[in-house]
This record gives sequence, C-alpha cells and structure tokens, in this order.
Amino acid sequence: MNRSDAIKLIIKEIGNEVIISANGFISRDVFNAKDKNTNFYMIGSMGLASSIGLGIALKKPKKKIYVFDGDGNILMNLGSLTSIGTLKPKNLVHIIFDNNIHESTGGQPSNSKDIRLEQIAKIVNYKIFKSQNPNQLLKIISKSKKLTGPILILIHIEKSTSVNGRVLLSPKKIKERFMKSI
Amino acid sequence: MTENYQKNIFNYLQKNGIENFVGVPDSTLKNFISRGLELKKIIIATREEEAIGIATGMVLANSPSLVFMQNAGFANSISTITSLVQLYSIPLIFLIGWRGFLPNDAPEHTKIGKIQPSLLKLLGIKSKIVKEENWEKNCDWALKQTKIGKNCALIVRRISNE
Repeated sequence: MNRSDAIKLIIKEIGNEVIISANGFISRDVFNAKDKNTNFYMIGSMGLASSIGLGIALKKPKKKIYVFDGDGNILMNLGSLTSIGTLKPKNLVHIIFDNNIHESTGGQPSNSKDIRLEQIAKIVNYKIFKSQNPNQLLKIISKSKKLTGPILILIHIEKSTSVNGRVLLSPKKIKERFMKSI
Repeated sequence: MTENYQKNIFNYLQKNGIENFVGVPDSTLKNFISRGLELKKIIIATREEEAIGIATGMVLANSPSLVFMQNAGFANSISTITSLVQLYSIPLIFLIGWRGFLPNDAPEHTKIGKIQPSLLKLLGIKSKIVKEENWEKNCDWALKQTKIGKNCALIVRRISNE
C-alpha cells in the first residue's frame, strides 16, 4: 500500500472528522485527497502533530480527533506517546504511516525498521492495531469509530513513486478556518 | 524569599480567562506550579516543545493557554516557536523561569541566562519581568496580548541561589 492511497481510503471512511496532519508528504497527501476546514496541516514543527492532536482532543472530548503521523515524526517526539497514554483522551485516533524512512528529505532511514513502534504504544496504554493491506485498514478504521481511545493504528506503507503538491493555503488561513469549524 | 505572589499569578490568570497551563517543571516557578497542581489544572509535558504543541492544540480548540518552562527549555523551543507559534500566530503566554540571572547561579545556566533577553528580542517576543510589586499589571498586559491574538512572555527571575 502506498501512503497516498491509504490516506484517501481513510479520509473517505471517516468523512468530515478533524485531522491533524504531520509535516512533509503526509500533509500534502491529505490536502490533495480532500481539503476541508477541519484539517489542520502542520507544515513546520516536525514531531508535534500528536501533541497538537492531544491538546485538541482534551478540549473537544465529543469530537473524534485523527492524527496522521509518520515514523520519523513520532520518533522525534516519543514522549508524546507517554503523555497521551497518561491523559488517555478517549477520542484520539493516532495513525502512523510507517515507511521506515524520512521520505520528504530524500529517503534517509528512520529508526523504525527494527523496532516495534506499536508495542511502545501498547505499553503506554494505547489500544493498538496494525495494518498491511487496504481491506484490513478499512476494517480497522471502521472499528476505531466505536472504540474508546487512545487508539494507535500503525500502517506499513511503501516508498512513494510520485509526490503530491504542497499545501496551497497560508498558515493563517489554515488556522482561522480550523478554529471556526471546530 | 517570598514567592506567594506566584500563587496569586496563577489564580489571577485563571480567573481572567486562561484555561490551560501546560509545561515542564522549573524550581523558579515552583509556587506557581504547585498552585496549579492543587487545583488539578496543570499538565506536565515531557519536553517544552511538546508542551507548546499541546497548548497550541488547545488554542486551536478556542481555549486560551499558557506554557510554563525554565529558560533552558525555552532554548529547546526556538524552532517550535518560529515554525508553529509564530508561523500560525498562536496567542500563547510563555511563563519562563530565568536561571542564570544571578552571575553566581549554577554553571549550566550561565550562558543561556546571559543571552536570554537578546534571544527574546531576536525572536520578536514581547516580554515583561514579573515581580511581587508589578505582577498584576504585567498579567493584565499578557492577558491583553492574548486577547489581541499575540504571544508574549512573562519572566520570573531566579533571585536566590537556594
């Protein structure tokens, strides 16, 4: 499965829910799949998508909050897993697209290949799911809607063969429309 | 040293609309933090960047927030401040404990303590030093900055070597 297809599939399944997307290709894929006011594209501050998602989830407990994260991103802020596991937001779904590389910077290796990220999440109180193919992913996403979080979904993805364009919105616009919509 | 005014700062900011207090503990700010802990209104993050991320999420959910930290952690946060807080104009109040204010503070604080005022200036973050005699006025200033959508810093100097 490639990231862009996995993202399209998830977005179709979750509809208009809030998405916080990590910087780099993940935000580009989300923007190009379906731009909407409830998307917060984090274009800088690598590592912090899950922290921003946690802050929103705590203040908006009735809304499902989806974080679209990457392996490089979460490895940069592993402490975030422990904070989320401590505060236990029931409405947080933390999706990690894991390609074992820092793809946006040229495909250098991340440290996710020989470790089990989902086990780290499990030990800090997440419910964990792992997906290798589209059918399985669809079932997990559908199931995650009814489950109590925090939920981690680790999706193994391949290196992309094509790259989507940048997010064509100013940071100010991204923020303002998000704050109005939530 | 009388640091009870730090408790007043917490109470005052909370009473005047700040709903979230996220940060990393600092001994200079301990009375502020312990008041927040008493009220169960404090979130302790693992790093200052993380704290800023969480608080940013809360602001995005329309809930005014403050981030507290030591100036060592402020140094950690520079990229997060420029590429998140300033990039998106997130109105946060930073409450920063100023270690290295005294020349004979512990050696690890000397350098950052010395460059702290220039660092704030370089980043374009407006700041005020809060003391027992001016805390209310400067809290009002910070609250006003938040209301007009700007971030700012309140600085607490470390004035004892205990």
